[in-house]
Parts: sequence; C-alpha cells; structure tokens
Amino acid sequence: MRVRAHARSWLRATVAAVAIATLVTGCSATAQTGTSNTLTYAINGGTLSGGKMDIHSSAFQATALVMRNSFDSLVYQKTDGSFVPWLAESWEVSDDGLHYTFALRDDVTFHDGEPFNAEAVKANFEHVVAPETASADAASLIGYAETGGFYAGTSVIDEYTVRVDFNQPYAPFLQAVSTAKLGFYSPETLRDNAAQLPAGGPGISVGTGPYILSDYTPDQSIVFTANEDYDWAPEGSAHQGVPSIDTLVFRILPESSVRTGALTSGEAQIASDITPNAVGQIGDDFTIKNVTMPGLPYTLFLNEAHGVFADENVRRAFALGVDIGPAVESIYQGQADRAWSILSPATPNSYDPSLEDSWTFDPDQANALLDASGWIERDSEGYRTQDGVRLSARWLAYTPISDAKASFGDVVQSDLRDLGFEIVRDNREIAQYYEGFEARDYDLSDWSFPSVDADVLRAHLHTGGYKNGSSIADRVVDQLLDDAIATSDPAEREALYQQLQQWNASHVAMVPITVPTAITAYSPIIQNLSFDLYGQPLFYEASLTTAQ
Amino acid sequence: MLLVVWGAATVGFFSLRMIQGDPVNVMVGLGNVSEQVRDQIRADWGLADPLIVQYVSYLARLLRGDLGTSYRMQQPVADVIGQQLVPTVQLMLLALACALLLALASALLGRGRRRAPVAGLLELVAVSSPTFWIGLVLIAAFGFGLGWFPVVATAGFGALVLPAVTLAIPVAGILSQVLRQGLDDAAALPFVDTVRARGASHTRLVLRHTLRHAAANSVTLTGYIVGSLLGGSVLVETVFARPGLGRVALNAIVDRDMPVVLGIIVLAAAAFSLVNLLVDLLADRIDPRLATERAYA
Repeated sequence: MRVRAHARSWLRATVAAVAIATLVTGCSATAQTGTSNTLTYAINGGTLSGGKMDIHSSAFQATALVMRNSFDSLVYQKTDGSFVPWLAESWEVSDDGLHYTFALRDDVTFHDGEPFNAEAVKANFEHVVAPETASADAASLIGYAETGGFYAGTSVIDEYTVRVDFNQPYAPFLQAVSTAKLGFYSPETLRDNAAQLPAGGPGISVGTGPYILSDYTPDQSIVFTANEDYDWAPEGSAHQGVPSIDTLVFRILPESSVRTGALTSGEAQIASDITPNAVGQIGDDFTIKNVTMPGLPYTLFLNEAHGVFADENVRRAFALGVDIGPAVESIYQGQADRAWSILSPATPNSYDPSLEDSWTFDPDQANALLDASGWIERDSEGYRTQDGVRLSARWLAYTPISDAKASFGDVVQSDLRDLGFEIVRDNREIAQYYEGFEARDYDLSDWSFPSVDADVLRAHLHTGGYKNGSSIADRVVDQLLDDAIATSDPAEREALYQQLQQWNASHVAMVPITVPTAITAYSPIIQNLSFDLYGQPLFYEASLTTAQ
Repeated sequence: MLLVVWGAATVGFFSLRMIQGDPVNVMVGLGNVSEQVRDQIRADWGLADPLIVQYVSYLARLLRGDLGTSYRMQQPVADVIGQQLVPTVQLMLLALACALLLALASALLGRGRRRAPVAGLLELVAVSSPTFWIGLVLIAAFGFGLGWFPVVATAGFGALVLPAVTLAIPVAGILSQVLRQGLDDAAALPFVDTVRARGASHTRLVLRHTLRHAAANSVTLTGYIVGSLLGGSVLVETVFARPGLGRVALNAIVDRDMPVVLGIIVLAAAAFSLVNLLVDLLADRIDPRLATERAYA
C-alpha cells in the first residue's frame, strides 16, 4: 500500500514539473512571434557554413540565392532573357566583341558609405581573378583562365566609366555580369576583410544591395535588414526605393520535412527546395511556384575514356535500355519533366525541341546492339560476358543522394539487369568522390548544372573541360563551342548550340534524364513576390499584408 | 590526462591522413582551378611536407596551445570551436538533466512485478530508436502539431527543449536500466532488513540507501553517457538545424578539414579525461567503501 502511495506522489511531482516547464517555454515561445513586417524564409543552405558565403569564390547556387539580397549587378536579366540597366546606366560592346564599356550610375553607395564607381568595379573583378581567391565559379563566369582565358583585364576610363577587355570575343559576358556571383563588395571590405569573405558576416559581406546583412549564425540563420538608402533598383522594376519588407530572416533548415513543417505550421512564410512528394502535403493554403531550371538537365555521363562505354553501341544500348519516361513520371510526381536534350528548354536562345520524343525505351534494339558488340555469353548470374569479362559499369556518385536520385538509380539498375548489363553503385563522400572524378576512373556519373547561358556546355563538352564527365575529346565539338562563344548574334548562337545537342543525340556521350525544377511554396500574405530565371524568390519588390 | 590528449591527437592525426580524399580538392571544389594554384594551397598549408614533419610541427603548435587554422573557414580552429562550444554545452547539460530526471522517474516508478515489464519495454524502445527519427517525431508532434515548442525560432529556452529531450531519450533508457537493476540488487541485500528494522520508511530506504548503491553502479557509465551525448549532438544538431560542435565536426570530416577535426578530437579527449577525474572523486563520496578500501590497501 505504501509503495503505491509513494509512486503516486512521484507521479504527481513529475506531472507538476512537466506542467511548469511547458508553461515557462510556452510563454517564451509566444513572446517571440508577433513581430511585424518580418519575413522568415526556410532554406536548405546546409553548404553555406563551410566558407561558402563569398560570392566570388563559392561554386554553390545557394550562395548566390542568399547574397542576391546584399549584392547588385551591372545589368539585370529579365525572365525573357533580355537585359536592362541596373548599376550600369548603359553599356556598349565594340564591333569586334573584345571591349565592353559600362557607364555607371553616379548615385550608388555601399552599405559602409563608400561610393560605387569604376575603381570599385575594377577592384572587384581583380579580386575574382586573383589566385588567392581560388574562385570556383565567378572566375570562369568572367571568362578567366590561367592559360587560354578570354578575360584580359579591366580599366578605369573615368570615375564612372569602366571598360572590360577580352583576348577573343566572349558572348556570355553580359549574362555573367547579371549574376550575383559577379556582384560588388565595398573596396574597403576587399582591402581589410579579404580573408574573412568566405566565412562572411555583418561588416564583412558589404555590398550595395537592397538589404544589409545584419546578423549571421552559421548553420542557423542569416538576417537581412532593409537598406534605408537604397534607390537604384533595376530599370523597370515594379518597386523603387527602400524595400517594403523590413527584415528577412533566412532560417537554414537542411531537413526537407522540417522546411515543409515550418511553412505549414506558420513559423515560416516561405520555404524553398520543396521535394516533389511534399507538394501534395502542403495543401491549398499556400502558393506553389515551380520553375524549370535552365542549363544542363539532370544527366548521366557515360565515360568514353574508360571501360565498356568506349563502345558507342554500349552507350546507345544504355540510353535505349532504361525506361526513363515512366520512371521520371512516378518519381517526380509530375513536378519535373523528362529531359530530351543536354540543354533545358528554359535555357534562352539555344534549346532544340526537335529532339523531343526522338529516342524512347527500346529494349529489343538495346539487346541487338549489345549482341552486335560481342556481349553474347552469359555468366551464372545472367549477366552478359565477353572473353570471360562481365558487362558491368561502375556508377560513381557523391553523398548525400536525394531520395529521387536514389530511386532513379534503382530503375537504371533493374532495367539494365534485364538486358544482362550490371550497374555497380559506388556512393562516396565528396572528398573521395573528387579523387575518382579527377582520375576519370569511373564508367558513369551524374549531376545537373543550372545556368542561364548555353555556354554551360563548354565546361561539359570541351576537351579538358573541368566538368567534362564523359571525357569527350572531339575537334568538331570544340570548334562548335568556340564559334558559339565568339558570336554575339543570338540566332547564330542558337544554331550552333542546336548542332551540339544533335551531336550528343547521335553520339550518346551524355544521357539527359529530367529537367530539374525549383519548387518554392509561400503564404498568401506575401504579395508581389518575383522569381529570377533560376526560380529563386526576389524579395525586393515584395510586401507583406498584415490582414492575415 | 596529458597522455590521453597526446594519444588522441596522434591517432587522430595519422588516421586522418590514411583516409582517402585530398583536402585541396574539397577546398577548391570542382572549380576550374589549375594545378599551380592547388600546389600553392598545399604549400601554404604545409601539406607538401613529409608526414613526419607535419606531425612534429603539429605537436609543437599544440603544445603552445595553437590548434591551427581551418582550411574551409580560414579562421583559427580555437575560434571555430569557441563560437560553437556554447550551444553544444547548453544542449548537453539540459539533455543530461532530462536524462537523469527521466531515468530516475522510470527507475523509481518502474519497479514491482506489474510495472517492471512496462518500464523494460520503454527502455528498450528508448535505447533502440534512432535519434534522427525521435527528433523528427518530436518536431512533428510537439513542434508543428501541438505548437508547444518553436522549431524555427532559435532564441530562448523553448527552442532548446525538443533537441535536449531527443538527445536525452536514448541515454535515459540505458541509465534507467542500470538504475533499476541496481535498485533491485540493493533491495535484496541484508542491510535492507536492518534499515527497515530501524523503522525507516520506504522513501527513506530508497532515497538514502538503495538509490546510493544503484547510483554507484551508474556512475561508471559516465564515460558512455558523455560519449553518447557528444555523438548524439551531431544528429540532433542536424535535425533541429542548430549550430554546434556536432555540426562542425561532421562538416569538417566530410570536407577533410583536418585542423578542425583534430581540434575537436583534442577537446573531446581533454573533456573526457576531466569528466572521468571528476567522476572518480564523486564516486568516493557516493560510495565510501571505495575510499576506505584504498586507505587499507
């Protein structure tokens, strides 16, 4: 009896303790909400903490997405692909395509009060190409390479006129200077804080943009405060002057289900990187924005320089032997389309629509191609062999691998199993992946690469290109790429890029699978939200209705 | 203690060199970076020197208290760790408190023929559930579902509750098992009859006598507990998107940021030895037999 009485008193004490704890935390939780005109944005951003806050050195798209708020560009690219003035009032390209002259606005200041002028542009472009910066993306955007690059230098003509020179015509330059990665740091921060730029933070990541980076806790949150002096929005912008949302809180939530939950529970008003299967759970109370990404689709790279894929028949059999259409349909649940070409339909002035439906699942032809190449014998597990060697390809990938990509990998493995073609998955940590990638000792690898300019193909197809995953070395291809970059006539460029897409369709070096989409979901209290060509939300024109 | 730290630093140093993956590749990413720049980075970081030279100069710096500079963040390792230490220590302390409370409650309530199997089952579930899963379930139920605790907000005590409980549950499971076992064993000892005969109440018996016996057993588990709290913080910080040492350690390992990984190994070794020292002192207080045994030895 006594035992039971004691147990009950313990229970009572525990219940009381829990109740008190709940009360205390409940109060502190309610105290935090209720701030007006603050927008909380749930982003993936797991990569930012590793010294990837620097627009000039980071290769990640996440950096550009976050930093766009603090950094403006010389020109602004509209969603139709055309360019309008931003920090440059006007620009001129010389007839030979070698010189770009920009006339800058004279009323722009950095967050630290420094004036924006031709010297600032020069200092920034020099920072991008400096070896210490070890730029992974911005330097190639500007056309710089240690040998054989396009970029020759930047010179100051007068206080508000700057000229960028090239060794040979470089057509993608205007697009490049419209991206956040070629944005401008205050010359003072470049001088004093150069080593801290990759880590980033208030007083370090100082630009000219509509928002000032005011607080940063790595792996947790980035806070932007409206720039009260801002009066240099792109020409034709729906909003001018100071942005109407006072504070932007970017909350870094790498776990996809937590981002979705944060939105639906009202803790965040907007969430990006929504997975296709989460779209259904979000419900009708939110707006879903689904933007098809430009650039290279999600693609499998068949390494021509190694193993079985040196044989064109085997490459072709691979492409015909996987039932891509239904797999994409069921895995992406209608949120992403099947890709037919090595460029996304959303890439301006380049896509070749004639490739659509031009190659479809055909296991009979795939089997015939493998037979023709001499893979006739079968081993005890039912795989094809030739001279005692199994028909097998090793698929090198780096972790973390998204659920969608893992599922697609299963489809590839099982469909090719039916042909007697073995696929071995080799999933590695990124550091180990790089070892294999640099050595090109794999048969198969996969990625997508968003880009607004079709010149993204240069890194992937040109002999020695740094993302040439298929080890392509073809003079005709190199010539087409070089010609495309040297011409500024959109129609001529489009024709050249279509030839490149046709080349891959017949040569089968890369197998495009699906066109990635950027899915963002947001609450209706956000008004006038616009999106850039990469499907990333732009907060400058947006406002919040307090009614809800 | 110095020996433990030196041993940990040495093992850490050589095992990190043995795993595949060039830190320079990770630093520059798959960027368009020439071999010259890569060599420059190697020279700057002393990665081009022979291994033994790197090791000796690392130890020399360690002796002076210099943990080196992070490859990725280009910040001194001491700063990187210093910035992230507070949130992790907060989380671990609250988790420890939660674990003790839960374990005590379950050990004291979960005795007797009918209740013991229930407590045993709960302990088994607590010990065997993956931390990641516990975290997501708690977020879905108490964060987004009931709205009791904020998940997105980062300030305040409320934001710490769910992560701490997540981290505490597996530890509480083990602790409770050991405590319950200890209480049962102690209850069977002859001195219990003596105490009862003196007229002590059941509460007094448990709180003053048998619990002390049981606690002495669980104290030896402290090493395990500290380890599992530190290890669990990696998962908890990832699920709840909190900053902290766990996240830093994970990212540093993935990115082959050797100085940071080594810094955390050294810190963990030092903390571990310190905790064990404290526990040895504490054990004497809880169990006077240990002190007397030593006095007579």
